Amino acid sequence: MSLLVAEGISVSFGGVKAVQDVSFSINEGEVFSIVGPNGAGKTTIFNLISRIYNTTGGRLFFDGVDITRVPAHSIAHLGIARTFQNTELFDRETVLKNLLIGAHIHRTSNVLSDLFFLPGVRRQELAFRKAAEDVIDLLDLRSYRDQVIANLPYGVRKMVEIARALCLKPRLLLLDEPSSGLNPEETEDLSFWLEDIVEDLGITVAMVEHDMKLVGQASDRVLAMADGKVIALGTPAEVQTHPEVLRAYLGD
Amino acid sequence: MRYLKKTRYLQDINLFKHNGQRFWYGLLLLVMCLAPLGLDRFLLGELSLVYIYAIAGVGLMLLVGYSGQVSLGHAAFLAIGAYAHAYFLNLGWPFPLSLFTSMLLTGLIGGLVAIPVLRMSGIYLAVATLAFAVIVEQTLTHWESVTGGFRGMLVPKPEFFSADLNAYIPFYYLCGGVLILVMLAGLNLLRSPTGRAMVAVRDSETSAQSMGINLARTKSTAFAISAGFTGLAGGLFAHKIGYLAPDAFTLLTSIQLLLMVVVGGLGSMHGVIYGAIFIGLLPSGIAVFRDAVPPSIGQIPGLEPGVFGLILVLFLIYEPLGIYGRWQKIRLYFEEFPLYRRSTYKRQKTYLRTERLR
Repeated sequence: MSLLVAEGISVSFGGVKAVQDVSFSINEGEVFSIVGPNGAGKTTIFNLISRIYNTTGGRLFFDGVDITRVPAHSIAHLGIARTFQNTELFDRETVLKNLLIGAHIHRTSNVLSDLFFLPGVRRQELAFRKAAEDVIDLLDLRSYRDQVIANLPYGVRKMVEIARALCLKPRLLLLDEPSSGLNPEETEDLSFWLEDIVEDLGITVAMVEHDMKLVGQASDRVLAMADGKVIALGTPAEVQTHPEVLRAYLGD
Repeated sequence: MRYLKKTRYLQDINLFKHNGQRFWYGLLLLVMCLAPLGLDRFLLGELSLVYIYAIAGVGLMLLVGYSGQVSLGHAAFLAIGAYAHAYFLNLGWPFPLSLFTSMLLTGLIGGLVAIPVLRMSGIYLAVATLAFAVIVEQTLTHWESVTGGFRGMLVPKPEFFSADLNAYIPFYYLCGGVLILVMLAGLNLLRSPTGRAMVAVRDSETSAQSMGINLARTKSTAFAISAGFTGLAGGLFAHKIGYLAPDAFTLLTSIQLLLMVVVGGLGSMHGVIYGAIFIGLLPSGIAVFRDAVPPSIGQIPGLEPGVFGLILVLFLIYEPLGIYGRWQKIRLYFEEFPLYRRSTYKRQKTYLRTERLR
């Protein structure tokens, strides 16, 4: 069953048509990769899904609900979490606090109960902490728990960002170039974690990725784009040998 | 170097992390309570003023230090709190009700002002809040039926169960007690989802939004709470100065409040206290300075705003983390002695921010 459906979405910035009439659907429980040369519009598609940009045409459906015009902060509540290409963490806080912010959508407390830190808020904090610790265990971040983000190496920050997204307990996880800035070993680990995320947590993953090895290993289906248009959609092997894809990367 | 072995999640949630902290804060509370025994009338009055500044400081710190929204108009909220409190007292309301209502009223006004103002950010926000402060100042001058205009307004003496709170010792305890309550409320916010949402908005709006945080609501909540606490401080401030006139709440007051949180250390509750002590005692310091230097220098008009501005600029350039940041560095130096590394706190440049959205 399709979890996310894009029907002919387009967006243009001034005269630049960043995404033109792109349609695809992401099935529940799969790893869906978007590949393409720089400037193909991959990240823009993520920004359209997470409603940072407005689409200028087409429609987006998540689990049957039209999300083309919902406010950006409601996307997380629907069950879509994301990471950013160059990490957008809360730099002056610890890893733990970042993960707790990830749990924000599950809050039941309000400003008043927070002001007095009522027993319910304390219980909620304990529950959030427990959930955060589960994610810390899954992604092996124990030794960084109390460190401030600004002091962490880039590779760890990427993992913290995935961890924070997992704290939302999403149904769909959007990963924007998860392996950029990781060394080959870390990339290897990442592909195993992706498997865990999909199989153990039952989360559908969509990622933008340049590392073809990772794409080949991890993804079920691949969407190839160039200049804002879809050029191929299929299994990793199909897409890698598709003549249009070869032309986009290598030229005529 | 001390390493804390944590065995329970509550250790990260509770206000005190270990018994050492309980001991030191307990000692501080004891000193606060016993201060009237050792201090004379003048110093006790100064200390009460420091507490009042700190109450407003908690409010401003939540807004500037934790939500990342600059306000140059907090004197206006101080004024609204002060005038509302005095007005209600003049109507014959009991003291606690009047103080509480003026806090709520100021918070409400803060929340309403936030809706249009917080569409702006950075320097534009600062200018908008400044404009708000000017509007309030003009209103205070011209709404004579309520505020008394230029003639000003007498603040009735605070009474609670026929106890005279205006005598300097009860007033000292009143300010201290309110400060502790406000401080607790601020700390509670920061360890719960509301405070974390503010921090998220401060550090990355895009990311906060993708985490499901409603930017507009978070910012206006921060503004309302900040205004409410400042209004509360205003109510106490009214008693401190005894007679309200518009010239008690000028741009200089706003700058003074901002100076407090910047000098104390943005993003720390300790910083509020350091900053409040600093600006509470600075005017006395400047007065001493005026007497000590030759009259040709000491009698320069506008020395105070000049010194305030200079200190603000120096702190922004050399110690953006304020007095609290400096204190942390000194403490780390002694903890790690003799292994302290000079570059521990060296500011790093990050080159990874080029593709930030918006």
